Amino acid sequence: MKTTIQIFQLTKVLVFIGTYFLFGKTANAQSKFDSLKIKQPKHFFNTVIVLDSYGKPNQKITDTTDFLDKRLKSYGVKQFNLSFYTPISTINKPTTDSNVTKNTHVLLTGNFMSLRPVFDGISQHTLIKAGIGIRAIFNSGKKGIWFVDVSPFVTKDVTYESASYFRMANTFVYSYNKSEKFNFRIGLTKSFLWGNKNYWPFIGFRFGKLDKVNLSIQIPKNISLNVPINSKLRFSLYTKPQGGMFIFSNRDSLDYFRNSSTFQFTRYEINSGFRFDVRLNNNFNFYVAAGLSTKNNITFYSDKANKDRPRLPYRKYFYEQDLAPTGFFNFGLVLKFGKTKSYFNNRNIYDAIDLNNTIDAGDGNTSNGNVQIPVKSEKIKKKDANLTSIQDLIDANDY
Amino acid sequence: MNCKMQRQLKIVIIILLLLQGFVSFSQNDKDKVEALRVAFIGKKLDLTTNESEKFWPIYNEYNDKIKAIRKNLRQSFKKGIDNMSDKELEELYVLEIKSKQAEAEQFKLFNDKIKVIIGTKKTLKLRVAEEEFKKEIIKTIQEKSD
Repeated sequence: MKTTIQIFQLTKVLVFIGTYFLFGKTANAQSKFDSLKIKQPKHFFNTVIVLDSYGKPNQKITDTTDFLDKRLKSYGVKQFNLSFYTPISTINKPTTDSNVTKNTHVLLTGNFMSLRPVFDGISQHTLIKAGIGIRAIFNSGKKGIWFVDVSPFVTKDVTYESASYFRMANTFVYSYNKSEKFNFRIGLTKSFLWGNKNYWPFIGFRFGKLDKVNLSIQIPKNISLNVPINSKLRFSLYTKPQGGMFIFSNRDSLDYFRNSSTFQFTRYEINSGFRFDVRLNNNFNFYVAAGLSTKNNITFYSDKANKDRPRLPYRKYFYEQDLAPTGFFNFGLVLKFGKTKSYFNNRNIYDAIDLNNTIDAGDGNTSNGNVQIPVKSEKIKKKDANLTSIQDLIDANDY
Repeated sequence: MNCKMQRQLKIVIIILLLLQGFVSFSQNDKDKVEALRVAFIGKKLDLTTNESEKFWPIYNEYNDKIKAIRKNLRQSFKKGIDNMSDKELEELYVLEIKSKQAEAEQFKLFNDKIKVIIGTKKTLKLRVAEEEFKKEIIKTIQEKSD
C-alpha cells in the first residue's frame, strides 16, 4: 500500500516536471514589452536632500539661583541640519488574484546636525550628531502600511577634544487608511527629541486628503494644519518639539564635582508657528517658518550618571533651567533627485511618503514638506500645454 | 564646526544647487499635464474607494510602460531616417513593429485587469475620458497659438 502511494506521488512529480518543460516555456514566454529592454524607474521614492537651518535668539538667564546660571549668562540656539534619504530597494508585486498592488521599500537615511548652543559666559561649543540609518516600508496595497526605522548616530563636541557617544533612535508604526480623508497610526518610538532617551507610543490621526487641506496630529512628532494654496505654495500652522541629547566638553569646568572630560547636554523646546513651502520646480523647493518657542529646557548631567543608568532616562541633573518663551526662525532647502514610478492618486503611496517624511532621518524632527505628493489642480493652464508636455499622451495615429 | 568644515559644506551646497540647474524644466510641464489628466479621468470615472485603491496603481504602471515604449521609439527616430544605414533602418523597422505590438499587448493586459475591478462600462468610460482630455489639451494649445 505504502509503495503504491509512493509510486502515485512520484508519477505526480514527473507529470508536473514534464508539463513544466512542455508548456512552461510558453507560460513564461517573454512579453513584447520585455523584449524591448526599456529601462524604467525602479522606485517610488526619490532621493531627497534636506538642508535645514534653525535658530533662536540669545536670551538672558534671569533665574540666577544656581551658580551656573551666573556663569552661563544666556542661552540661544544655532542649528544646521543636513539629512537625506534614498531608496535602495523596491519590490513591487501586483497580485493577479485580488488585483492588489503590494510593495516594499527599503531606504537608506542619513543625517548630520551641527548644534551651537550659545552661552555668553563660556566658550562657544559646536556639538554634532551624525548617523546613517535604514528604514523599511511595506504597503499591503489595501488599507495598511507598516513602517520600521532604525537610526543609529554618534554625538560629539567637535570644538574641543571629546569622546564620541553612540545612540540609537527607532520607530515602528502601523498606518491605516480608513478612507482618503481619514487615517490613523499607531506604534512605538524611541527618540531623544525631548532632551533625553524616551520611549513614546506613536499615535497619529489625519483628517482630510494629503493633497488637500488636512489636519494631521502625529504624537509625539507634530500637530499641523496644512493648506495647499496652489500647486506651488503650501501654508501650514504647526506645533512640534525639537531637541536632543549631546556630548559637551567639560573644558569650561561646568561639571565641577567630577574630573570628567565630557558631560551630557540635553535640550528641548516646543515650537509653534507658521510655515510656507514653496515649490520652485519639480526638483527644488524651500520653506520658511517662524513662531514662538516655548517650554525651553536645558540640562547638564554627568557621564557617570549616564553610565550608571544606561537603560533609563536619567533625571538627576547637576544643572537644569527652564527659560522664557522666545521666537524662532527656520529655513530649509529641499532637493529632489531622480525619476520615480508614477503614483498619481495612489493613496497608499501618498501615505507611505507622508509617513516617511513625518519620521525624518536622524531624529531631528525636521520636515521636507511632503514635496513628493502632487498637489491637485483642476484646470489646464495655457502655459503648461505645449507639444513637449503631451508627446507621450499622443500616438502616431492621433495626428 | 570649524571654518574648514563650513567652507566644505558651502561648496557641497553650491554643487547641489548647480546640479539642480541642469534638470530639465520640460519635465515639470509633463508632470503637470499628467497630474491634470489623472484628475480629469478620476472625475469622469467617479470611482468608489475600493475601486480607486486597486485601479490607480495598475493605471499608473500601464501608463509608465506606454510612455516608456513611445519615448524609446521617439528617441530611435531622432537621428533621422535619411542619415541611417540600411542595417539601422532595418533595426528601426523591427523596433517600431515590436513597439506597436508591445503597446497592444499592454493595452489588452491592462484592460483585462481593470475590467475586473471597475467593470466594462467604466473601462469604456476611461477610453472616452482619455480622448476628451486629449481634445481639451489640443484645444488649449491651439488657443495659445492663435
